[in-house]
Amino acid sequence: MSDDHSGHLKLRYHPGLPLSTGKTFMWLFLSTEIMFFAGLIGTYIVLRFGAPAWPLPHDVHLSEPIGAFNTFVLICSSVSVVLALEAARVNKAGQAKFWILVTLVLGTVFLGVKAYEYQAKFSHGIYPQKPHSLIYEKADLPYASRVRQSLESHQLRLSKYESPTEHEQSQLNITDTLLRHFARPVELSAAKSGDMQGQLALDRMAVTIMPREGQMVLEQERLGAEQDQLETRQTEIDAQLQSLREKQSQLQKQKAAGAAASDPSPVDATGDQTGAVGSDPTANAEGADQEIDELDAKISQYAAESAQIQGRLKAVSILSNADHGLNEKYHWLHLPMVIPGGNMWASTYFLLTGFHAVHVIVGLIVFALFLFIRLDVNRIGSIENIGLYWHFVDLVWIFLFPLLYLF
Amino acid sequence: MSEHQSVETDTHNTGDGHESHEHHGGSIKTYLLVFVALCLLTTASFLTYTDFWRDHFSPQAGWAFMMAVSCTKALLVVLFFMHLLYEANWKYVLTIPSIFMSIFLVCMLIPDVGLRMNRVSEERRRHMAVEQKEPSNIEAQPTKNSEEPSAPAKNPE
Repeated sequence: MSDDHSGHLKLRYHPGLPLSTGKTFMWLFLSTEIMFFAGLIGTYIVLRFGAPAWPLPHDVHLSEPIGAFNTFVLICSSVSVVLALEAARVNKAGQAKFWILVTLVLGTVFLGVKAYEYQAKFSHGIYPQKPHSLIYEKADLPYASRVRQSLESHQLRLSKYESPTEHEQSQLNITDTLLRHFARPVELSAAKSGDMQGQLALDRMAVTIMPREGQMVLEQERLGAEQDQLETRQTEIDAQLQSLREKQSQLQKQKAAGAAASDPSPVDATGDQTGAVGSDPTANAEGADQEIDELDAKISQYAAESAQIQGRLKAVSILSNADHGLNEKYHWLHLPMVIPGGNMWASTYFLLTGFHAVHVIVGLIVFALFLFIRLDVNRIGSIENIGLYWHFVDLVWIFLFPLLYLF
Repeated sequence: MSEHQSVETDTHNTGDGHESHEHHGGSIKTYLLVFVALCLLTTASFLTYTDFWRDHFSPQAGWAFMMAVSCTKALLVVLFFMHLLYEANWKYVLTIPSIFMSIFLVCMLIPDVGLRMNRVSEERRRHMAVEQKEPSNIEAQPTKNSEEPSAPAKNPE
């Protein structure tokens, strides 16, 4: 840097650093960017490792292979920028433009994959903020109420259709069954008991809506056991009902016979029978009436239990058919789901990838503008600067990929 | 290195800006080698995703490994793609302070992480997704995944 002015007083501008102003400021900018992203990543690490719970990648629909693919795309785009710079250095403007175009395409692919990933999260109700987010931290009473409300609003919406299609009708049936035999009972038992039974019901509700790793196996076993239990109870009740109904019809016949006997004008068809049973006194009719009433009460009691069991069996079959959870099987349900730490995860994920994506977009805008100018040897300063920026974007992703996808 | 520097100072003395930088930077072959290395390293960090890794190493080992891989990749990108290897000494002026700032920042966050990892309130522990093995806290545990024998008998009234 120290140069000797040999004798004559011809003063000349001398830059403080032996590089162009553009490059100096690009590096200054990048050093602030290093601190910016270091701050973000540091915050993420504190929140990630200090959090009492953190979702597994699978719980929040993060796909590691897709993330790895995006890393590969960005590395390729970094190479293509370098090749563009090398082409411009030897004044091959066309080649340079080709490599810039390749970079632009690769950057767009990266953003496209990112958009696809965001879409996968949004469609599963994973948003960084509350109005849209379906993530709940724990299975508690407010959560159960929210599930019930959600089902009720589905029911309301679906029952408004005047002539529902088959699909809508089945949706309505599912909603009805789940509401009556799944959500409301769980909420009720949680509200009433306040002990482990209520909490267990809540936990099972959360698992059937969105199971996390390995939880569904246990839940399937429980549902299977419950189904067996309900079915044996059902056959018992059926047998009971059968015998009660037989008894009832017998009594009714007797009563009819008694009535026919006492009746002064018997019908022709029952005429033979009246002769057979006619010996019974009419005083028995009152006792028979009372017995029939008792039987009716019993039958209606059993029938109510049977209907309840039928409904619960329907709900159980819906729940056990959805072996990846209700939200996965019936996508339209969009029920609130329990992901411990999910909200914090969503906030950090969308913040980090969002800031990175903004940087990618800025880079792509510059590359798009570069397509309109001749990229010969006079432009190598500009290409080098945007290259530095683009490599930095790549660098940030190199750290974000393992931190967000693999940790 | 010293040749490059002298070339640089010469160009600037003639006031040419960046016009004659052609000797400055690696060859295409170097770039392609770096590219292959980056791809291999990405595959390496992706290894931690496989079942093999999960069966044989602890998650902490995986994190350390991935960070090492990421740092190596970052170094490759910075040195070759961003030409820092071929730059004059000014590079230290810009990079070292910001790197130190970042390292300090991360170091200052470490106690925070440690504190939050080791001191967990009862409320937080109760809602941990991954169960913490804390013998004093057994009674707070059965909320998650515990097999209650009477579980299936949950008939609605």
